[in-house]
Amino acid sequence: MSAAAQSAAAPVVEIVGVTKSYQLGRTRVAALRGVTLSVRAGEFVGLTGPSGSGKSTLLHICGLIDRPDAGSYRLDGRDTDGLSARELSLLRRERIGFVFQSFNLMPALSVYENVEVPLLLGGVGPSGRAPRIHEALERVGIGSLARRRPDELSGGQRQRVALARALVKLPTVIVADEPTANLDGETATQVIDLMRGLGRTLGTTVVVATHDVRLTSHCDRVVALTDGVTR
Amino acid sequence: MKWLFFAIKNVLRNGRRSLLTVLLTAVGSAAILIGGGFALFTYEALREASVRDTGHLIVAHHDFFTNDEELPMQHGLGGHAEVAARLAAIPRVRAVLPRLQLSGLITNGDKSAVFVGTGIDAGGEFAVRGALFTVTEGSTLSTEPSVGGMPEIMLGKDLARQLRVRPGGSLTLLATTTEGALNAQDVVVKGVFSAGTPEIDKRAVLMHLGTAQKLILTDKVSTLAVYLRETADTEPMRGVVATELPSYARQTWRDQATFYVGVRGLYDRIFGLLGAVLVAMVLFAVSNTLGMAVVERTREIGTLRALGAFPADVVRNFVLEGAVVGAAGAGFGMALALGVSLGVDFVGVSMPPPPGRSVGYPLHVEVSPPLYVMTAIVVVGASVIAAWLVSRRAAAKSIVEALIHV
Repeated sequence: MSAAAQSAAAPVVEIVGVTKSYQLGRTRVAALRGVTLSVRAGEFVGLTGPSGSGKSTLLHICGLIDRPDAGSYRLDGRDTDGLSARELSLLRRERIGFVFQSFNLMPALSVYENVEVPLLLGGVGPSGRAPRIHEALERVGIGSLARRRPDELSGGQRQRVALARALVKLPTVIVADEPTANLDGETATQVIDLMRGLGRTLGTTVVVATHDVRLTSHCDRVVALTDGVTR
Repeated sequence: MKWLFFAIKNVLRNGRRSLLTVLLTAVGSAAILIGGGFALFTYEALREASVRDTGHLIVAHHDFFTNDEELPMQHGLGGHAEVAARLAAIPRVRAVLPRLQLSGLITNGDKSAVFVGTGIDAGGEFAVRGALFTVTEGSTLSTEPSVGGMPEIMLGKDLARQLRVRPGGSLTLLATTTEGALNAQDVVVKGVFSAGTPEIDKRAVLMHLGTAQKLILTDKVSTLAVYLRETADTEPMRGVVATELPSYARQTWRDQATFYVGVRGLYDRIFGLLGAVLVAMVLFAVSNTLGMAVVERTREIGTLRALGAFPADVVRNFVLEGAVVGAAGAGFGMALALGVSLGVDFVGVSMPPPPGRSVGYPLHVEVSPPLYVMTAIVVVGASVIAAWLVSRRAAAKSIVEALIHV
């Protein structure tokens, strides 16, 4: 096996025996019960399951915005257990892109500025930011909308901005939570095709939580969750 | 710089709410500046009035300020001309004026009254006294005492009314001499003045130094009033005079300006309290506005944190927004205060006489660059503190909780 092939096959997301529970009033609710998930570099993986099955919780752990109660998570070969909040923030800055169901764009900022935010957080200088932002906007097909504000865009265009914001720092993993849930059929298909194509082109690993069968049909692999357990 | 630009955009996003906060901050800033400017004007006016009355430094016999005299001029200053010459030779000294204080009776033949007199060097004295010395009738004393004629005096307007005398009329002064005997001197009224204070106008008499010395039989003076080119030099010059004339007592104008010190103490408390209330108002206004913004933008905070922002980055963004609101408010407030200050001067507003005085004064609001800078710093600082207080908890909130906030 060649080194390149070995690298391509190496798991980027390696979750082993993860559990997570939440306190809801007086009741402790188990969201994940010993989930194990391994995603290789460049893979496009869908997480499906009914509401409350734990797919969002698993996605949050993948995106390092939540910590498991037990189990381990290695991101791109690095053990994330025991990392401080600051170290997790730095890992998210460098390695993880987010796409949210409600786009979560900054309404006061233009399209260009929304895409600029991750680079500003990453300390990229002004001369380094501009070409990367334009490239990201061109990749998602909204290069001409750079000066618009989010409230001047359609839902599909907003999700493309969110995608450009996730891609601009060339992350190792993109985690997307129901990215097509607020889009009509045709727009959803366009966004799915775009995500799939970008994943392939850039070699970015994509983990998507979704109910949308149109989206799951494009996934390399679908992981179904029920009551906090993978099947 | 980019984050500051984003902060401005976020402030403008809620235009009406931000405008209301900026207006409240501006009104607070303007009130601080107008109140402070009025206090500064009052301090300066009272200081200058005190300085004009007493001189910047008062040099006297070493017992003059501490021990009561048993006989007139017991603690008088002998050889004052030589002392005055040594003081006048100091570069920062503008003038040195001898003064002799005395008291006695003044009579028109039918009616007598108590007077408190001052023998002065008329030429120098009227040059240093300014607008607060108002001649209501006649004129000031001649620069040089008349030779052969009756000595001239000026008297306070209430004393003149009491004695039914006008310029040109004659009166007689009676006083105790330095030897304890009574002496009398016929004088002619040259002018009537108002010091602006009824208590002074009822008793005050000004005469040439020679007239006063002749009346109480002395060649001494009570004090030497030292006028400096700059009031700010008072304290340094006190040290210089102490070195030059170690055997003489000395006080500054502030030591004798009990009214100035009292008013300043009172105004400092009043305007200090007013300023504190206004700063608290700014603090609450900005807290309220940014507090609402923080709650409304909880998901935005969660998104930023998910993108890798530290809690401190989020707090910094809100602090910048607070600083923008504070700076805008302070800026508008300064413009408003400046407009009011210039407007008051242009219109010419008169204030009623203060307690203990008989004449009003034109209102003026001092435009003090240090006060403007200090106010801007305090207002922006209060806004920044408010922003920090309301944003730090939201910034530390769990990212997942922030993202699902509705």
